[in-house]
Amino acid sequence: MRRATLLALASLLCTSVANAQAVQIPVIVPLTGPIALEGTSQRNGAVLAIESAAPLKVDTTVLDTAGAAEGGANALERAAGGKGVVAAVAPMFGTQVLPMIPLADEYGIPLLTTAGTAAITEKGSKFVYRFFPSDMVTKRAQAKYVLEDLGKKKVAILYNSTAYGQSGFDALTNYIKQGGGDVVYSDAIDLTTKDMTPTFAKLKAANPDVVLIQMHTGSMALLLRQYRQAGLDIPVVANTMLTMPSTAALLEPAELKGVCAETSAFIGKGVSPALDTFIDTYTAKYKAAPDFFALQQYDGVNMAIAAVKDGAKTPGDVQKYLASKTYDGAAMSYTSDGKGNMAHSAVIVCFDGTSRSPALVKRYEGKPTTN
Amino acid sequence: MSLPHARTIAGLLGVLALVAWPLVFSSPFDLRIFTLTGVFALMVIGYQFIFGHVGALALSQATFFGLGAYATAICAVKLGFSFPTTLTLSVLVSVVVALFIAIPVLRLSSHYFALATLGISQIVTLVALEWVSLTGGGNGFAGVPLPNIAGVVIPRGWPLMLLVWTFVAVGAVLAWQMMRGLYGKACHVVREDEVAARSLGIDIDRIRLTMLLLSAAYGGAAGALFAHVNRIASPEALEFKTMVLCLTMAVVGGRTKVAGAIIGALLIVHLPEWFRFLDRSYVMVNAIILIGLLIVAPEGLVGLIDRILPKARGVDMAKVSAIRDTPKASPPPRGALLPSTTPILEVRNLGKRFGGVKALDDVSFELHRGTITAVIGPNGSGKTTLVNCITGVETPNQGVITLGGAPIGGRMPHDIVRSGIARTFQNLRLVDDMSVLDNVAVARFEAEGAGPMSALKVGREDPSLLRAYAYALHLLHRLGVEDVHRPAGSLAYGVKRRVEIARALALDPQVLLLDEPAAGLNESEQNDLAARLQDLAASGVTLLIIEHNMPFLRTLATYMICLDQGRLIAEGRPREIYENPLVLDAYLGRGATAAVEPEPVLAEVRS
Amino acid sequence: MLQLTLNTLSLGSAYALVALGLVLVLNATNAVNFAHGALVMLGSYLAFAIAMVVPGQGIVVLPLVLLSAAAFGLVLALIAYFPLRTKPVVAVFIATISAGSIFENLVLLTFGPEPRSTPPILGNSMLDLGGGLAINEQSIAVICAAFILIAGQYVLFAHTRFGRRMRAVAQDPDMAAASGINVKLMIAFTFMLAAALAGAAGMFLSATYYTSPTDGGNYMMKAYLAVTIGGWGSIPGTVVGAFLVALFEVLIPAIPALIPGLDAYLPTTTLFSMTSSTIALFITFLAVLLLRPQGLFGEAIKKRA
Repeated sequence: MRRATLLALASLLCTSVANAQAVQIPVIVPLTGPIALEGTSQRNGAVLAIESAAPLKVDTTVLDTAGAAEGGANALERAAGGKGVVAAVAPMFGTQVLPMIPLADEYGIPLLTTAGTAAITEKGSKFVYRFFPSDMVTKRAQAKYVLEDLGKKKVAILYNSTAYGQSGFDALTNYIKQGGGDVVYSDAIDLTTKDMTPTFAKLKAANPDVVLIQMHTGSMALLLRQYRQAGLDIPVVANTMLTMPSTAALLEPAELKGVCAETSAFIGKGVSPALDTFIDTYTAKYKAAPDFFALQQYDGVNMAIAAVKDGAKTPGDVQKYLASKTYDGAAMSYTSDGKGNMAHSAVIVCFDGTSRSPALVKRYEGKPTTN
Repeated sequence: MSLPHARTIAGLLGVLALVAWPLVFSSPFDLRIFTLTGVFALMVIGYQFIFGHVGALALSQATFFGLGAYATAICAVKLGFSFPTTLTLSVLVSVVVALFIAIPVLRLSSHYFALATLGISQIVTLVALEWVSLTGGGNGFAGVPLPNIAGVVIPRGWPLMLLVWTFVAVGAVLAWQMMRGLYGKACHVVREDEVAARSLGIDIDRIRLTMLLLSAAYGGAAGALFAHVNRIASPEALEFKTMVLCLTMAVVGGRTKVAGAIIGALLIVHLPEWFRFLDRSYVMVNAIILIGLLIVAPEGLVGLIDRILPKARGVDMAKVSAIRDTPKASPPPRGALLPSTTPILEVRNLGKRFGGVKALDDVSFELHRGTITAVIGPNGSGKTTLVNCITGVETPNQGVITLGGAPIGGRMPHDIVRSGIARTFQNLRLVDDMSVLDNVAVARFEAEGAGPMSALKVGREDPSLLRAYAYALHLLHRLGVEDVHRPAGSLAYGVKRRVEIARALALDPQVLLLDEPAAGLNESEQNDLAARLQDLAASGVTLLIIEHNMPFLRTLATYMICLDQGRLIAEGRPREIYENPLVLDAYLGRGATAAVEPEPVLAEVRS
Repeated sequence: MLQLTLNTLSLGSAYALVALGLVLVLNATNAVNFAHGALVMLGSYLAFAIAMVVPGQGIVVLPLVLLSAAAFGLVLALIAYFPLRTKPVVAVFIATISAGSIFENLVLLTFGPEPRSTPPILGNSMLDLGGGLAINEQSIAVICAAFILIAGQYVLFAHTRFGRRMRAVAQDPDMAAASGINVKLMIAFTFMLAAALAGAAGMFLSATYYTSPTDGGNYMMKAYLAVTIGGWGSIPGTVVGAFLVALFEVLIPAIPALIPGLDAYLPTTTLFSMTSSTIALFITFLAVLLLRPQGLFGEAIKKRA
């Protein structure tokens, strides 16, 4: 009974909103469970973009997908019933996005995601838009930096045994070999692994001259701390997760000395007015420093909002805008490569051992490659 | 008469509500959630076989579910098989893995079984994560098509929902039909008391294996449907989280009733959706409600309904009395045609050691048809070990036991029961929450050849159960037990004894071993029991009675054997035994033991 | 080699603390407390919160963590155990899983999803033991603290009146009640003691290895495994089980590095990967059960009355 009343109330609200010609962008992200950290950043970025859409009024509902594979699709089906939905924010967790794709195709609602998983833009859907450089971009940059800038050829790769770790590992191995390097050692590390000493023992025996990392926040912080404690000084080039403020917060600046990482964009003041605005409003609203998930999702939602401001009325219109236009966001410029990959540049940042904020070292500008 | 009607009405209302559900909540989202409910309900109905009916806490149902999903995903995408083929393969893969699991773990007890099944599940999950080329690794195996039956694609929404719920309906009816007959009663005994089940000739290992395989088959089918609904097979389906979900549904809904599985799935799937408006707190609210439900209905919501609308006691006696399958006055023992000098049961040079202690040392005796033989001896003299060796619970170190001329050494306990040796227990082993009639009828399990498949063939009622009821009624009547519909746990002690004897008799034994049948009975009850036992012997059953109580045996036993420290020290007619100095010594010689013996025994021995 | 052994010992001590708490409640109630992992996680966050208010080394924070974790243990007993005490054991199973989920989300809502670290007991610097061997101060402190807590628990049980009463309840609650012991009170204390041990373990673990709100499940699994391998309800068995789990996590994956030249004979390099070691742990566990169905230190199983 109570539910029926709620539903009635909700539909009443929706109708009144629809009358005011408002659009809706539901935010579907994991807020509980093992990937709540990344999902929360994503939500923060998306909500910030929606709130700063004025004069346009954009409604939203935030739906938690938890850790379950069906969570994303369930939430999308629920959200798709709402009025005026022009696009939806989809989780950064590829396993949840994959089941959402057939639904998005059917409803014709474009998904705005920051998932790095290669497979999501390989399904031939017109409705997946990835506002995060995929492994094709970031892993290529990471490999290039190691091979060309550092001049190291004997590479060790440490990665988590998750979808994220595995797809990054595959891409890295591929690019290292293409660039003439050699993967002398690799190890899959479980997220629950506490003691990395055995890995280090084997790593030392393999004698690499650089260590590449593709891991999640907590696991990576643990690895780096123990890496230092084990007295290892082989250079480390990590994945973007290292640049999350919550990762750096777990480590002493000294433990980060000399460690580099790939990421989508350098997040720091003075690069562009748009980025400054983002950092200021984000810090004011959430009392925390933004990370790349927040930034990329902020840009993604802003591009959809730009489409509506440009006159898009239906999700179909927004999809056409996303597929054909170029948008200059706070982090970079976005254009679809024809598959829905919007972000094509990456950067390398390094920590100097005195602060927890990295400095920009190298920028890799990519062009959308349509095939 | 009003109560059974109330239950029928409640049941009909329940089915009606279930049918009305998707009609009322018919948005695409509601239909999707309802479809998922069906998928989980099917998984839980399967889980009830192993967890509910035989009470084994298996933590592997999520593995069967996940394997079913992967099998469907891989076969549908890589090999392009259509739905009937992929579904069959999903069920097969799960059942084969279940068989494999069963080899090491099925005999483990309770917690060890739970963790062993969990351990195997963890291994399967890790393999699925690592074998990227086959399973897609952590991402899962995406792109599962919609079900395709003979070229017709079942679209999302109503058609897919109906397909899933058709499976639930068929699965539910099959499970209900399998478990409501004599086979289900046998499972109930296995769940409550394994020792009693073995003494009734029930092959526990076989039942547990069957139940595990059925669980796996349902789990595999549910997983196959899950892959089609969710369009992906991913490691999440294999994880402990899914197992907890399944277990929660079974516990909150009800462990043994099909309706419990459906109510549990309906509630657990919808609960988080109802509290979405609470932002992230909905998970906590969900958990608090679950604890509340457990406190209100620890036996599950179906158990709560049973408490509010109790089931009418008893069965349709008209149907039972229509069956004219009462036992013949005397069962036809296999040794019946042998000359009367040939013993029914013969024990030769029996020996059993526990470590350095000789519990039985070169014991030999024989039992003749229709006789009542008593085994006496102080505590620790080897009486119980003797019973355990004859019934196959213990394996003797030496000696031969023959029944009707055939050796029975080395056979499984349930096998020995089937060949004609039944027993009762010193500390009664009835199943308290089953009715008296059910307790006795279940002993007909083996004679009726009840099994899950034979239960499927029949129509509305299980005829083997009706025959078993008729048989049991006759025996209960013969032992003077009239109130047959009460739960066995609520009976007086003396009545329980007689029910247990009736249950043993329902096995059609040639030899009946009674372990201290007079313990705890008052004098008039003892006299009554003695008369009934004599009556039994007269009808051709051979009795072996372990007893301390000399007054009880005095008029009853036709022959006596006295054990002391594992050796047979005397045998003969009761009068001879009472005067045997060795026997007197055995009872009087050890002060500590004698003090424990009831006073009348000594008085009787001295006289 | 020595380095790896020290690390195994350090991790094993922390796991032993976790598993001991589980086995205490198990003995007293005959029920698996599935919120135990969440209590470990809660302990880490309690330590984190207390350290923000009470600055100083972990040694100062520890008593406060023990006390506050014990309070949560009592809360757990009151909501998820006592109302279901006379009910089927699986009801307690599900109730404690739900309680664990409440703790997890309580922490998530209060502290956010970020992993956290707690202050070390004495310090976190490396002590150079010479010969290229170095050990974290924290590791030594954990081994010592775990040893003191385990020994303290042994003394409590073996040599105090209070401990004997708790033991009596664990062995036979009905008999204990008949001889005038307040069984409910003793069970409540057991829950508190178990939670305090879990809290200490949580604090030790997060100082070295960080903790996220979702880490409880992993600790639960490790403790469950340790308790079962060791023998259901056996305290020495549990400690041995915990070290065995740690062994498979630290020492076994390092085998190729310990035996130089072994690589050449291995069919594949993944044979000693972390995942393979976890699989090996479970296979060893199954083998133990196959050969000794009652666990390493267990007695033959009594059927529950």
